[in-house]
Amino acid sequence: MQEQDYITFEAYLSRALPLEEQMAFQKRLQEDEAYKLAFETYKEASGFLEHNFKNEEKNKAFKANLEKVSKSYFNKQEAPKAKRIQPWYYSVAIAAILVIGFFIKQQFSSPVYSDFANYETISLTVRGTQSNMLNKAETAFNAKNYKDAEAYFTALIKLDSNNLELQLYQAVSLVELDAFKEADAIFMKIINSPSVYNNKAKWYLALSKLKQEDTNACLNVLQSIPEDADDYKQAQKLIKKLD
Amino acid sequence: MSQKKIHEDQKYIDGLVQNNAFIIQAIYDKFAPKVVNYIKQNSGDASRAQDVIQETIITIYNQANEKGLQLTCPFDAYFFLLCKRKWLNQLKKTGNKEVTINEEVLSKDDDAQELAFETSLFEQQHNLFTEMFQKLGKACKDLLKASFKIKSMEEVAKSLGVSYAYARKKKSLCIGKLTKMVQESPAYNNLKS
Repeated sequence: MQEQDYITFEAYLSRALPLEEQMAFQKRLQEDEAYKLAFETYKEASGFLEHNFKNEEKNKAFKANLEKVSKSYFNKQEAPKAKRIQPWYYSVAIAAILVIGFFIKQQFSSPVYSDFANYETISLTVRGTQSNMLNKAETAFNAKNYKDAEAYFTALIKLDSNNLELQLYQAVSLVELDAFKEADAIFMKIINSPSVYNNKAKWYLALSKLKQEDTNACLNVLQSIPEDADDYKQAQKLIKKLD
Repeated sequence: MSQKKIHEDQKYIDGLVQNNAFIIQAIYDKFAPKVVNYIKQNSGDASRAQDVIQETIITIYNQANEKGLQLTCPFDAYFFLLCKRKWLNQLKKTGNKEVTINEEVLSKDDDAQELAFETSLFEQQHNLFTEMFQKLGKACKDLLKASFKIKSMEEVAKSLGVSYAYARKKKSLCIGKLTKMVQESPAYNNLKS
């Protein structure tokens, strides 16, 4: 194309071409393929430039906006990936479940001996009749030193064979030492005798059965504890847990 | 083409032209996941998908502004086709052979195919013009920038310190030069198939 051709294209597009030249221009467009192609490309170039520069600010604003939306969209998509559960989270979760499970077990599972075996401190020494042995037995029992306590009780009972109180604590000591057979025999003896330690012996026998995990025997003993007994409430509580 | 009924999804095109942030957001929320999946399944990742989607949207925006793009098919099919082609072209360029082209994913919508074809043609043209414009001399670049930014050629002439007649003539010749460069480039023939 000659320079003049481009000048004609521009004049035509800006509607500055005189009428008679317009006729000639359109005639040539129809007849000259290369001319037509050049004009079309010129028009494309013009459209491209117009959009690029006339709308420069607008285009910039659009691209900035697009960039913002795009970034926030893809950051959101990546976020869950970054927060993907790390392997060590699983061990923490398992530990948490175990801890929770432990407490649930404590609450709902079968009760254990140690939950209920809270023996009160005993006081065996009586005014005026201070005995060295009694003192030692009392101290050992209260200090939960059941092995020594049991030895002292055995020695004391040899001296005072009808003392049911000493026998009761001896039996408790034996339970603590897992000597159930001997302990239970002593409890039964106390229960079968008319004594103030009768109900106490029932409760301790129940605890012995609990420690032996003999639920049936434990429940039988517990149910024999009367309402007026000191340990009635505790006994009922244990019954509920065992049921 | 102009006889065809304009699809209701034209709202997405109009929204882009208006730089409507809600529409842009909606395009991402509704149409990006499918593209991201496709690119991830075909040797790409999220960051490559991000670029492909962004470039595709800019092309649609450019075409809508320059040529008044009219959508005659669902935006979904049109948009996916464009992104897919762009991605496959990129893979071809990098010589990546691990491409599993699932043709079933291709839209069977003829309008979408046709429109997507037109848009990719437009994009190649746009890129060609951009490239050739950069190759023009500084005087031409400055004059063209000024003459399209400023409406009146008298002002353009004044701002460049040349006469009005010269400015008008020079504008024609600069666009003519650009036209010639574009027509002579090898890529041009591919566009005129």
